[in-house]
Formats: sequence, C-alpha cells, structure tokens
Amino acid sequence: MFRRKQHDVPQLNTTSTADISFMLLVFFLVTSSMTTDKGLGRRLPPLDEQQQERRDISRSEVLQISIDAQDALFVDHQPATAARLQQVVESFVASRPDGRHVIAVETDRHASYNAYFEMQNAIIAAYRSLRRQMALQRYGHPLEQCSQAERDAILQRYPLRISESIDTH
Amino acid sequence: MPRFRHIQKRSVPALNLAAMPDLIFTVLFFFMLVTHMRDVSPQVRYTVPQGHHLEKSRSTGLLYLFIGRPIDAAGRVVGSEPCIQLNDRIVTLEQLPKEIEQQKAQMTDDARSQLTVTIRADRDTPMGLITDVKQALRRAGALHVNYSATLSRSQQTNN
Repeated sequence: MFRRKQHDVPQLNTTSTADISFMLLVFFLVTSSMTTDKGLGRRLPPLDEQQQERRDISRSEVLQISIDAQDALFVDHQPATAARLQQVVESFVASRPDGRHVIAVETDRHASYNAYFEMQNAIIAAYRSLRRQMALQRYGHPLEQCSQAERDAILQRYPLRISESIDTH
Repeated sequence: MPRFRHIQKRSVPALNLAAMPDLIFTVLFFFMLVTHMRDVSPQVRYTVPQGHHLEKSRSTGLLYLFIGRPIDAAGRVVGSEPCIQLNDRIVTLEQLPKEIEQQKAQMTDDARSQLTVTIRADRDTPMGLITDVKQALRRAGALHVNYSATLSRSQQTNN
C-alpha cells in the first residue's frame, strides 16, 4: 500500500474578513444619514411685478385666514381650529366650480412658525382630499394611478391659490 | 471489523462561517444605496414642525437653510436669538441673497435648474424672520422652497 505524504497546504484563515466588513459597515453608518427630506413644497411668487399673473378678484372669491401674535387661527375673522380650517377650505374650494378662488393668508410677525406650518398643512390636506375624491369619482382609480392628462384636469379644477401678505415692519 | 471504527469517530462538523462576510457586504451595499453622505452639519439647534401629507423634496440642487438657536461645537445652545445657517455657514439676513447667488454659481447647470431651498426652521421661530427669509429668497431668485417637517403620528382622518 502507498503511503502518501501529507502535503496539506493550510487554508487561508478567513475568520477576520467578517471583522473587516463590520468595520466598513460601521464607518459607513456613522458618516451617512438616512434623512429623507420631507416637507411641504411651495413656489414663491417672483419679485418682479410683471411676471406675476394679475387677476381681478371680488370679495366673495376670497377666503381670509389670519394668525395673530398668540398663534390663534382666524378663518374669515372667526376663530377656528386646524380641523375646522380644513373643512372650511374644502367646502370653499369645492363650491367654486371654475377655479376662481383665492385663499388670502396673513400672519403676524410674532406668531410662531409652528402655527403657520399647521395652517399650511391643513390647507394642503383639504386640497388633497378634494383631489383624491375627484380622481376616484371621475376616473375610477386613485390619484397616484392617474395619467398626466388626468392629473392636469384635476389640478385645473382645484388649483392651489394661496396669497400671502407681506408684513415688513 | 474495520468498518465500525469509522462510525465511532464521527462528530458533528463545525458551522462553516465562510459566507458571513458576503452577508455583511450585502447589508453594506444596501446602506450605500439608500443613504446620502451627510455634507452639512447643523450649527443651530432646531426642531422642525410635524405634519402629514408631506411630499419628498428633490435631491439635486438642494440648498439647506437651517434656522434656530446657535450651538457650539459640543452641542450646547449658546445664544437665544435665532440665526440662519446656509449650507454650512452662519449668515445674516442682509448677506443672504448674495450668499445664495454664490451657492447658485457653484452648482452645475442641471442642479441650478432644479434649485430648491429646504427650510429647516425651529418650530418656535417667529414668523417675522421667516417672512424676511422668504423675501430674501425671492430677491435671489430661489423660488422653489420646501418647508421641512417630520411625519406626525397622529390620526390622519380620511386619507
């Protein structure tokens, strides 16, 4: 019988490659951030007067919202909560069939940003629920599945028209 | 009977851990794809307001505007007046339009066409400062803004 000499080359010890990959992972976790920037997107009106759209509006087409220095919310000069504001905006926008409506917003300089943001949030929520309803009723599928032409029609029916008054003293 | 000796010497083999680094690399690639390298560190303390129905802002052409009370290197609040930080420098209100123009000039054309300023303001900031900042943004021509916020966990009524 043969006697084979044992020529086993020892295998590379790979137990530490796991440690190296842990180090890389930890380094990467520490230096990066998983922040997804979420918020309310807005378009400010251009400063140049000529570029702005000039429309004549009558008083009945305007919904007046104001926030005073104590963060109290007033809708058409009546005190209101954010939930009530959402309802009022919904009925106001829905009742103007050809899109001729303006929401005029006035904020005192000493009001807090939080109150302003909640008000903007309530307005956006109202528009969103109106647009969703229209998508379901008119097109039969939810807003996310609407084509571009359908979206344009919905945006034309419910355009976001917010006018903010600038108080610079 | 030489066969029986085989069976007695059998033992359970040790777990083969050779594939573990591969799993770790998979997790690493996942993180590389979903995260962004943090390129601005805030020098002000801020807590953004909460809301629902938030939309994601664009990721290219982003300018960060932090508004809050300034903090030192250790994270302690040092002032009581809110101040403004654009990208990574504290600026005053008067310098803001010029600073924005400078940042715009350094961007690529692609990013400049999609310029969005994300406003991360502390929720207790007085609206007067926010209004002045918005006027400065209009003057500098940065018209797309995004009011940054976190998702609130409270009830979302019908949608």
